[in-house]
Amino acid sequence: MSLARRPWLYFGPAALLAGAIGVALTVTSDHEEHPALATALGLFVSWSFILAGLLGWSRRPQNRTGMLMVAVGFGVLVGSLSEANYALPYTLGALFGSLFIAAFLHLLLAYPSGELLSRKARVLVVAGYATAFLAPLLDSLFPARHTCKPHACPDNLVLVSHDHAAHIVETVAWTTVSVLLFAATFMFLVGRWRKATSTLRRILRPVYLAGGLSVLLLAIGFILTPFSGVVNTVVVVALIATFTAVPFLFLAGLLGTTIARTAGIGAIFTGVPERASPGEVQQGLRQALRDRTAEVAYWYEEGGHYVDVEGQHFELPPDTRERVVTRLDYADSPVAAIVHDAALLEEPELLDTITSAARIALERDKLLVEVKARAARYRALLQAIPDLMFRISRDGRYLSYNAPDPSDLIHPEVVGLTLWDRLPAELADRVLEAGRSAVDRGTPSVIEYALDFEGATRHYEGRFAASGDDEFLMIVREITDRKRQQQELEASRQRIVAAGDEARRKLERNLHDGAQQRLVSLSLSLRLVQSQLRSPDAAEEILEASREELAQALEELRELARGIHPAVLTDRGLEAALEALAARAPLPVEIDGSCGELPPSVEAAVYYVVSEALANVTKYAQASSVTVTVEHLNGSALVEVADDGVGGADPLRGSGLRGLADRVASLSGKLAIHSPPGAGTRVRAEIPLE
Amino acid sequence: MGMTVLIVDDHPSFRASVRTLLQAEGYEVVGEAENAVEALRSARELKPDLVLLDVQLPDLDGFEVCEQLRVFDHPPVVVLTSSRDGADYGRCIEHCGACGFVPKGDLSGAAIAALLPA
Repeated sequence: MSLARRPWLYFGPAALLAGAIGVALTVTSDHEEHPALATALGLFVSWSFILAGLLGWSRRPQNRTGMLMVAVGFGVLVGSLSEANYALPYTLGALFGSLFIAAFLHLLLAYPSGELLSRKARVLVVAGYATAFLAPLLDSLFPARHTCKPHACPDNLVLVSHDHAAHIVETVAWTTVSVLLFAATFMFLVGRWRKATSTLRRILRPVYLAGGLSVLLLAIGFILTPFSGVVNTVVVVALIATFTAVPFLFLAGLLGTTIARTAGIGAIFTGVPERASPGEVQQGLRQALRDRTAEVAYWYEEGGHYVDVEGQHFELPPDTRERVVTRLDYADSPVAAIVHDAALLEEPELLDTITSAARIALERDKLLVEVKARAARYRALLQAIPDLMFRISRDGRYLSYNAPDPSDLIHPEVVGLTLWDRLPAELADRVLEAGRSAVDRGTPSVIEYALDFEGATRHYEGRFAASGDDEFLMIVREITDRKRQQQELEASRQRIVAAGDEARRKLERNLHDGAQQRLVSLSLSLRLVQSQLRSPDAAEEILEASREELAQALEELRELARGIHPAVLTDRGLEAALEALAARAPLPVEIDGSCGELPPSVEAAVYYVVSEALANVTKYAQASSVTVTVEHLNGSALVEVADDGVGGADPLRGSGLRGLADRVASLSGKLAIHSPPGAGTRVRAEIPLE
Repeated sequence: MGMTVLIVDDHPSFRASVRTLLQAEGYEVVGEAENAVEALRSARELKPDLVLLDVQLPDLDGFEVCEQLRVFDHPPVVVLTSSRDGADYGRCIEHCGACGFVPKGDLSGAAIAALLPA
């Protein structure tokens, strides 16, 4: 940890020591033609890299770029071992003196994150280190060609061959490999630059410019090495210039970030107006972060999601290599998020500073955007409601309206008119009263009313809610269908109650007029018999009359009981009950089909349909025969009573058919009557079994 | 000579039984009627001493008929009868001006005589 936090402590003294050794070796070198120049250049280049690297390392310990720069600097110092007059350091310098080039390529390929993000980059780095190690090793197996004054170089400890041809082949081969490696690295950097976003390019630009040129010049230099001349010298000088520029441009980048932090805070606090809109704040953040694509998303507490500066729902994108999300939280609660170029992660100080500064402004904007989001949600809600909606002032003037279907309006003009302009006066008064009540009490109110519209009476429900101190909302829904169903239901209930009452009246009347009357007569007769016991003939006559009276009373009671509920239906089932009905009918009745066992309520309904229909046939149809059909069809019980009578039956005549229709409807079934004049009558009921 | 009686009831079997019963007990049945209209006409023509009047008639009820009989020049005594119990009619019986009520099941010459004014 301490190394990561304070690399100066270790690498500072190490750089000074290594530099001193390098100076001592170079100045005392027997084979260095320009010791002063080599000393100055070596120290300048190596310490520049080490200094810049240590600065970067201490500023961004997680980023390996600084470490790699330090490695390049020390690599350069390792190369000064080859200036030594002794065999071992000289050989070591020759063997490891090129490793700094591999470290340099590593630095460029990993810039700016310090990570090798692609397989291609990793392959190139491995190839670079392998070449930087193997090429000098193989080259050192042969005598040196240009690096030493004649006979001034110390012994090369790994020299094994004087085969000139093999040396040339080895040199050509490694030169080719190195040039290809530089070319590939250069192409990689070009490709990366072309794909980079503007923000990433801003970060890459200084280092890539100097580094890329250095790689290009290295390739050219390797090709020109066998040749001496002005061009070669120019290339070497240019290479030294661009290579040395890299640490300085890196430092400039670091300094630029620091300047940008200050400028960014300034942009946030001074560039953005005090009463800036969320859009202006976003623009200010873009300038501060130097990322034109940055987007601000505000946390919308009520909705549980983020919204953009316009208050629209905003889904945070997943982090990718190109774009990432930086979330701004306050006390574990989300405040906002900034979606920005992933390259800004290479400038964490800038990002941290700017987002911290922006948090205050964003916290304030969050409220504004929440209001917008809420407004957008309510707008969507209103648009989704299919009802007519009016905003009406307290004095009854229409302020605005929403009509999903304009044909629902009784009058196309709305805004500016008064309630009395558009509605009958009495209704207008009611509407105003209900609206004012909603405003005054603060609770919604509801009225129902009817209007003659397009030639028909339509029913409406008006709901009222306060929409301000002096206005209210009126939401109008047509309830004509609901009203009709309600009326039908009420009528049906009334008919059922009336039918029950009527049945009881009829029962009482029948009992009174029939069996009860006969029993009364019987009682009187028995009293007469009692008084006539001394006159047997008269008594016999009275007893005979009494017996007949009693038989009729019994028959009437049976008939009555059958009318209350057919016992045969309960005891023997529908088929037997229908046969009994047919047997009692005064005309031939044919029964067709069978629908097996049915629920008791359905059986009773079928029985009464047949019973009532047969009674009607007997009374009105003047028919010669009737056919009753009972069957199972598509999950329903179907019963049909058809006669060959005069037809022309009125379904609304009498309470019998209506009562039957109610009974069938109570089982979700349908009763239909087809009775054209002169063509018989067909009563058909269909009752679902599920 | 016994009291003359007009029997008003819509059930022929009842009228026949009552006729036999009352005649056996000394009453003189001078006529029968099966509805209110016929009852009023017969009462006007036959001038019976007593009208035995069923409460439930097909056209008007017995109370109304009784009220109309009571305004005759020589109104007959009216005894109401019904197969229902007298309590079923509440105070209608006394309000209509009838002399009294005998349930059909208890009907007899003695029961009627018990209701007549002394």
